[in-house]
Amino acid sequence: MSDVGLVITQTRYGFKSLVRTPRVLVFSVFFPILLLVLFNSIFATGKNATVRFHGRSIDTATYFTAGIIAYAVMTSAFSTLAIAITARRERGELKRLRGTPMPPWTFMVSQVLRSVVTVALMVIGLLLIGRLAFNVSIPGKTVGGLVVYLVLGTATMCTLGIALTALTPTEETASTVAPFAAVILSFVSGVFIPINSLPDWLQQVGRIFPLYHLADGLQNTFFPTGGGIGLQGSNVASLAVWGLAGLIVAVRRFKWEPQGPGHS
Amino acid sequence: MFGFLGPNGAGKTTTIEILEGYRNRTGGDVSVLDVDPGRSDRAWRNRVGLVLQECQLDPTLTVRETLSLYASFYTDPRPVDEIISLVGLEDKRDARLGTLSGGQKRRADVGVGIVGNPELVFLDEPTTGFDPSARRSAWNMIEGLKGLGKTIFLTTHYMDEAQHLADRVVILRQGEIVAQGSPDELGESVGSASEVRFRLPEGVTTQQLEKVVHEHLDPSGTDVSFRTSNAQKALYELTGWAERHHVQLADLEVSRPTLEDVFLQLTQEAAPQ
Repeated sequence: MSDVGLVITQTRYGFKSLVRTPRVLVFSVFFPILLLVLFNSIFATGKNATVRFHGRSIDTATYFTAGIIAYAVMTSAFSTLAIAITARRERGELKRLRGTPMPPWTFMVSQVLRSVVTVALMVIGLLLIGRLAFNVSIPGKTVGGLVVYLVLGTATMCTLGIALTALTPTEETASTVAPFAAVILSFVSGVFIPINSLPDWLQQVGRIFPLYHLADGLQNTFFPTGGGIGLQGSNVASLAVWGLAGLIVAVRRFKWEPQGPGHS
Repeated sequence: MFGFLGPNGAGKTTTIEILEGYRNRTGGDVSVLDVDPGRSDRAWRNRVGLVLQECQLDPTLTVRETLSLYASFYTDPRPVDEIISLVGLEDKRDARLGTLSGGQKRRADVGVGIVGNPELVFLDEPTTGFDPSARRSAWNMIEGLKGLGKTIFLTTHYMDEAQHLADRVVILRQGEIVAQGSPDELGESVGSASEVRFRLPEGVTTQQLEKVVHEHLDPSGTDVSFRTSNAQKALYELTGWAERHHVQLADLEVSRPTLEDVFLQLTQEAAPQ
């Protein structure tokens, strides 16, 4: 089988495994949809129908929808990937795969591809729900910007997810740390709470991490100010730097052999 | 089939991992299928099948899916259905691995190791944790692999397994080979004497019996045993005496030295310090 064929086969089996793992489905598919519906139904009505965003007044439902899309990217790419790879490594499956003629890069690409497809489906689903239930729409001229942010954001979250596996010795650690990081960052990145409601220092903390820049970038594409496709240099740069850092750690520190207790 | 034996901590897994290309050696030359496993490439991996000691495959995939996935990695895999029959999982072909018993999982594991149609198969403790009937059927399965003309490198700490399966064995102690040969040859190396063992009848003393068999009797618990190079003659004397005296020799058995005797003798010798 060609190397491309190997990537496709492994991605296909990766999806089979994903849809047969209810926990992952709940966290990466059901949970973001639930959050979107709840947040928009509870916090985006009445006097909260608009929210302050970079000195402007914008539609709260659209703001939350863009933020939840960023959250979905983080769970589908970062959390799911970190947990799945750590679990496979600790089961000894990665070591086993390394003992076959399959080129290791095809495994990595298939893992990332699975996240990319999941993200794409989630984004389409969330946009559809936002459109139908909460009247959310994106200006045609910034759709390109949205796609750029999604591609860059997914790539960054994937490299960080793979990098995280170097620090998580067991599946339990990975499945605690990764979703926890996503939830905590969501509070300080303008995903669960409008960024303007946070004290200044907390906003500064949020700005360190990539989720803020992904959320802010996506929110901006729904409410473009300047011309072009709606990209901001600072968001793009921050995501790229995080992605690169993740890539370096992933390439240097990735382990194929089990790391948990009982393995030397 | 090559059996690689040794007590825990003797260096079996370290050696096998060097041979499999997982671990770098600290010195010396290693060649597996004319290739240094430390520099193994895809072509070499294509010719080698592995069954690792600790490995759980994806529990959400079925037996057939798992084998198809691994088959796709090799240039000339065997048909998946053939492998499923070979490892005896016909009834479980569409069952997810997570639902299988330990023995069935291990069979699936072996199936994954041979689906690529390798020339050489490493089996690292394939039956550890099996119940006796699962072990028997695993042995039949492994003998089936021999029938396919594969070279099999078997690691085990079950001596009966090695005796049953291996054509040639090596015993390792503290990283050094202390014995090698066929299981029978090794058995003879502790002496070609057979052991005769039975329960000491009531009212009979060992001294009485030693006069009958002309050998020294070793008591162990309620049993006595002696070694003889002519078991036929010794048994003739012994049973003839018993019949004449109307004595029942309970649990009478004759055994040839086994690999286990060699193993115990070699590995229990005071380790050279």
